[in-house]
Amino acid sequence: MSSSLALDQADIEKLNDKDKAELRQFFANEEQKSKIQSQSHALTSLCWKKCMTSSTFKSGALDGSEKACLANCVERFMDVNMATVRQLAGMGGRH
Amino acid sequence: MDSEGVKKAIIQATLQETNTANARALIEGITGSCFEKCVPKPGTSLSSSEKTCMSYCVEKYIASWNEVNGTYIRRLRQGAEGNN
Repeated sequence: MSSSLALDQADIEKLNDKDKAELRQFFANEEQKSKIQSQSHALTSLCWKKCMTSSTFKSGALDGSEKACLANCVERFMDVNMATVRQLAGMGGRH
Repeated sequence: MDSEGVKKAIIQATLQETNTANARALIEGITGSCFEKCVPKPGTSLSSSEKTCMSYCVEKYIASWNEVNGTYIRRLRQGAEGNN
């Protein structure tokens, strides 16, 4: 991909401490945002398979039951995720 | 370029990269899911009903992504509050 960034080492060295700290915070936020977005992509793909059961689409809008199914799908996935972590943590000493 | 200019250039380039990555992931999801849904038996060309299905499907997929993302973020916030 073409990037608009054309900086060299000399440019980087111009950064003062305040801007370095700001950039560090910016990267931390962006990393968090990226993780959430990428999990949303995975969940959409997973929940789409479970919730879009009609054989053809008659409109581009989500109907109420599809919306509810998607929300439930995400919520229950998170429940399962947490339950798994809890169970594995409980197994700790036994394996 | 001064420090401020370097910082802004880095921020702008980063946002551009992450937006592109996000768009690419969305397109990948749409293409995979909607192809499966709308073109169950690929013929020699896309039929008009397949094209109509695809266009609804793209809209629906984006709406689904928004619904999932919103629910996920709400749930993460609840979890964070529960830990405090």
